[in-house]
Amino acid sequence: MRRRHTSNRNSVAAIDWGYGINKARVINADVNDLRMSEAILREMPELQTCIGCGGCTATCTAGALTDFNFRMLHTLVRRGEYEGMYEQLNKCMLCGKCRLVCPRGINTRALVMLLKRKLGDN
Amino acid sequence: MRFFAPFCIPFIIGTAFLFAALAVKWGSWLYHLPRADKKLIGRNFFTLATPKAIWEVIRESLLHARIWRVNSLLGYMHTSLAFGWFLLILVGWIETTAYVGLRWVPLQGHVFFKYFAASAHLGHKPVFDFLMDLLLLFVLSGVAWAVAKRIVHRFMGMRRTTRHIVWDKLALSVLWFIFPIRLIAESITCAVHGGGGFLTGSIGTWLAGWVPRSTLYALYEPAWWVYSICLGLFFIAMPFSRYMHIFTEIPLIFLRQYKLRSGKKITSYDNFQVEACSRCGICIDPCQIQTDLGVNDIQSTYFLRDRRYHRLELSVLNNCFMCGRCEQVCPVGINLNTLRQNSRDKMRNVPNEKRYEYFTSVPVEKNSAQSKIGYFTGCMTHLTPGMKQAMERIFTATGESVWWADREGGVCCGRPLLLSGETDSARKMIDFNTRLIRESGITTLVTSCAICLKVFRDEYHLTGVELLHHSEYIERLLVKGSLKPARANDESFTYHDPCELGRGCGIYDAPRAVIASVGVLVEPEQTREMSLCCGSSLANTVIDDGQQLRVSRSAVDTLTATGAKTIVTACPLCKKALARGTSHNIRVKDLAEIVAERL
Ligand code: SF4
Ligand code: SF4
Ligand code: SF4
Ligand code: SF4
Repeated sequence: MRRRHTSNRNSVAAIDWGYGINKARVINADVNDLRMSEAILREMPELQTCIGCGGCTATCTAGALTDFNFRMLHTLVRRGEYEGMYEQLNKCMLCGKCRLVCPRGINTRALVMLLKRKLGDN
Repeated sequence: MRFFAPFCIPFIIGTAFLFAALAVKWGSWLYHLPRADKKLIGRNFFTLATPKAIWEVIRESLLHARIWRVNSLLGYMHTSLAFGWFLLILVGWIETTAYVGLRWVPLQGHVFFKYFAASAHLGHKPVFDFLMDLLLLFVLSGVAWAVAKRIVHRFMGMRRTTRHIVWDKLALSVLWFIFPIRLIAESITCAVHGGGGFLTGSIGTWLAGWVPRSTLYALYEPAWWVYSICLGLFFIAMPFSRYMHIFTEIPLIFLRQYKLRSGKKITSYDNFQVEACSRCGICIDPCQIQTDLGVNDIQSTYFLRDRRYHRLELSVLNNCFMCGRCEQVCPVGINLNTLRQNSRDKMRNVPNEKRYEYFTSVPVEKNSAQSKIGYFTGCMTHLTPGMKQAMERIFTATGESVWWADREGGVCCGRPLLLSGETDSARKMIDFNTRLIRESGITTLVTSCAICLKVFRDEYHLTGVELLHHSEYIERLLVKGSLKPARANDESFTYHDPCELGRGCGIYDAPRAVIASVGVLVEPEQTREMSLCCGSSLANTVIDDGQQLRVSRSAVDTLTATGAKTIVTACPLCKKALARGTSHNIRVKDLAEIVAERL
């Protein structure tokens, strides 16, 4: 595999360990507007069964070429963080690998299409 | 002789309306054709394409040859209605000419000739009486079938028949009445004035014997009125109902002969395809979303209906494998997959120049060994390492030097985005990979993914590079003798045709030849052009995991009914999908794997 840092925001260490740690993130659920997230879950209730295993991200074709991280993305969207998500989603190639590996059988391709529709298209 | 009576008015209005509506529809569709399509018409008009189209119109629009091939009862129904009605008009015209000589007679004169001839006491010509009665009986038998089909469709060997919209119901009901009422009107005329053939004449004589003359006179004009109203109503409903197909299939056949085609974007030509659908419902039965999942509103007949009346929903549009099984049986030959794809483009394509800018920094695999053969793994094969290893063993066994386009992963072929309607985005992938392949200098590109192959062949401009599926590549190696797998005469394999490979690329024989070289091939019941979909098609983004599994299980059942212990397929996605649907004692293998195993 082409090695790259798995951290999506900033690499933490100056030394290259071959891996990184995501920066701690504070999500203020009181401030975040969850209406969009709820609407998305209403259209795709099965997303609630996600166990956050990260299989989708690990196999992702776009993730191997960029910092695109699908698990993080849909987790953040569910928490009401929408900023920059559409631009991230535009990296997905809809190849479908994530759907094949998801242990919960979540229709991830439909999820990508739904998120794109809700967060930016048209 | 005047060919007019007040009862003709509804008929005249209906006919005038129909012709006006047809002129508007055809006119605007033709006017809005893309320039290139108009040029094609111009170029092909005075060629053999025109007589060929005429012949096809006779065969398909009148005789419905293709429906006969699918189902002969249904074929008889369509032929008797279409060809029977046509003959009634034709023989009716000859009859009129035989009576009044070659002169202009208004349309209603031909249609209601029995009435005018009787009122003018023209005398009788028994030959025509007989012929016209025979034809009327022919059409009536078709109507009887149509009524029976509505009531018990199983009767016709169809599990399901299409549900209709209001215009259709109006037109359909009126259509059922037209010919029985014509029979009544003509019989009453015979009862009053005599004459008629074995049908109208006999009923007429019977009526004259049993019904008081005054009653017959009282019913005479009203019967013709009802007949005329039925015709008028039918003609008015026609352009808005499925019966528009009668007048749309004809230009469609001509345009198709002139080589017009539907494409990734909606064009005016699509109108001809969409409205040529007769909603016959033949496409419903082969659809696995109907048979395995019980979903009854997404099949091509409904998709075309919804598209035509501008009420298409994403949930209907996207709930389709685009497996092509329906297209295979459609008697009108409509390009159902293409239409579905360009509808998706219309509803989903988002031109976005900024998308996939990162492709410019994707590292490109160099062909440092100057290999002439390239191999494109594709996303899905990356998920089935067994296939990748098998291909590697085969390449090693032949000793050929092979350039791997994406050994560690690369950019998707673009087919999934195309199937989802994101045409412009897919283009970026196609451009990226085209450049990659061109710069490598290879002359043959092999892929073991049927999905990649389909888009390579259809969308990539790679002249000078031969595009091969691994089944074709392995077959060549076997023929050349550079691969010599051990053949097991006692091992049987069954083969699953991937939709994208079989119906998509027309490759049926190469995989079978490869299997035959390593063991015994046993064909499942539904095979080749009618093989089943594995259920995981990328084209369907609506059904959930459990539904995919159900489709896969039933496809597997068909395959294992052959008794074979190994299911062979030739697409990584089919392999994964079928493996999920099997029980433990059945193996699912790719073509390359069963060959590599025996090297
Ligand atoms: S479909 Fe998109 S998110 Fe899923 S693996 Fe492919 S590129 Fe990644
Ligand atoms: S693979 Fe499925 S369960 Fe795992 S994180 Fe992704 S969506 Fe959630
Ligand atoms: S799409 Fe073809 S098979 Fe289906 S209803 Fe229309 S004409 Fe019949
Ligand atoms: S393409 Fe396949 S899934 Fe789609 S409507 Fe036709 S038969 Fe059904």
